[in-house]
Parts: sequence; structure tokens; C-alpha cells
Amino acid sequence: MWTRVNDIDRMFDAMDLFRSRLNRMFTDYSGAYGEDFGWRDMNGSPRTNLYDSGDTIQLIAEVPGLSKDDLNIRIQGNYLELSGTRNSDAPQGYKAHRVERDFTSFTRSFTLPADVNADKIEAVLHDGLLTLVLPKAEAAKPKQISIS
Amino acid sequence: MKEATDLTTRREEMLERRQELPRIAPMVDIFENDDEILLHADMPGVAKENITVNVDNGRLEISGTRRLQTKGSSSWQEFGDVEYRRVFSVPQSIEVTKVNAELKEGVLKLHLPKAEAAKSRTIKISSV
Repeated sequence: MWTRVNDIDRMFDAMDLFRSRLNRMFTDYSGAYGEDFGWRDMNGSPRTNLYDSGDTIQLIAEVPGLSKDDLNIRIQGNYLELSGTRNSDAPQGYKAHRVERDFTSFTRSFTLPADVNADKIEAVLHDGLLTLVLPKAEAAKPKQISIS
Repeated sequence: MKEATDLTTRREEMLERRQELPRIAPMVDIFENDDEILLHADMPGVAKENITVNVDNGRLEISGTRRLQTKGSSSWQEFGDVEYRRVFSVPQSIEVTKVNAELKEGVLKLHLPKAEAAKSRTIKISSV
């Protein structure tokens, strides 16, 4: 019996060790300036959030420094493609002391959880956030079933 | 029943439960010419009124908070509410009263003009 309790104890010790290592890994990651990807994810595309509110889908993307002409949105059925180019805003005749922000182009595609009505999509660009409101296609909307 | 809902709402409002926003250092570019130091910082989603810029005794602090307006349940989330905050050392020779900031498309552009005395001058050598 004793040996068994010991085994369990040791197992928990190992788990604690593993957890503390994991925690350290995360703090290391977010603490350093250089290793952060800024507004972009690991593949170099803007980070996005997706919310589903039944009738509509809302997609938000971080696109700092992009104007609406720099962005391209294409949609077909439940396939959405977001592409864009961030052009350098470095001023002429200045000496650069620190350059952390990057200027590249990206393409990111999504499979939306439902078909959307492509004619009624609203896209708003505000303070470097792109918000898309995508109404679901009639067939994909949730339906109220009345009980007879 | 009434009491039960009161209890739940009170719990939501409890100060201890209010979470502090995660702090992220915004990515910046810093440029300089003879007249000014120029700082560009990426702060997507931060409104103008939620940004503070503080220059004090050679210390420049920029800070901006973002709270997302969302609707519905989250399917995936790669970014969230955040406080962008970063502190820099700047030369004392910055004209604090003439610092000027603009915010466009989520990028903060901060112009820090150098004081007249700190500008580099070319000195002419007169021949006798």
C-alpha cells in the first residue's frame, strides 16, 4: 500500500514540474519584445476573432496601418479570403533607430461555420480593426420550431 | 428567486473579480532627423480617447487600452482586450510643450521636436 501512495506522490511531483516548465515557457514567450509577432500570427497573417450570434457571423481582424484600399476581401459560399499589403510608412530623410514593425503582404483564408449571404456583408475599418458582419444564408439560419 | 438573482449580479460586480487587462508592449519604429524624433507604434483597435502619452523628466510613456465590441459566442479568438503600454527614455532636450501625436488606422505617430539648443548646427569658418 505504501509503495502505491509513493508512486502517486511521485506522479504528482512530475506533473507539477511539467506545469511549472510550461508556465515558464509562456512567460518567456510573451515577455520578450523581439519574439512577439505583433499584430500578426505565426504565419504572418493578421490575427482574427470569430463570433457566431445565430443569424450573423462577426469576424474581426487586426490590421494596423492598412487603409481600405490596401485590403481585399473575397467570399464564396462559406469560404472567405482576406488579403492585403502593408506599405512602409517610414519617413524620408530620417535616420532609423529602431524598426520592429514589418511591412509585407498576406493572404489568409477561412472556412466559415455556415454559408453567408454575400450581398449583405458589411465591412468596416476603424482604428486598425477590420470588422466584417456576415449574415448567414437563409438555409443556415437557426429556426424556431413550434410544438403543436 | 429575487434574492438569488441579486446574489449573482453582486458577484459579477465584485471588485476582486474585475480582471486587469493583459499588458502588451506595442511594436514601435523610431526615427530621428535634425528637427525631431518620430515614433510610430502599432495599436490596433485603440480609440483616440483611450490613449495617453506622458513625457516627464526624460521618460516617455505611451499607453492605450482596447476593449472589443463583440456580439455572439466566440468560435475562435486570437486577440482580446489589452493595454498597450511601453516606456522609453528620451533626451531632456525634447520640447515637451510642442509634442504632437496623431492616430491613424491604429498607428500612433508621435512627433517629439528637439529644443532649439539641442539642434545640430553647422558652423561656418570665416576666413580672415
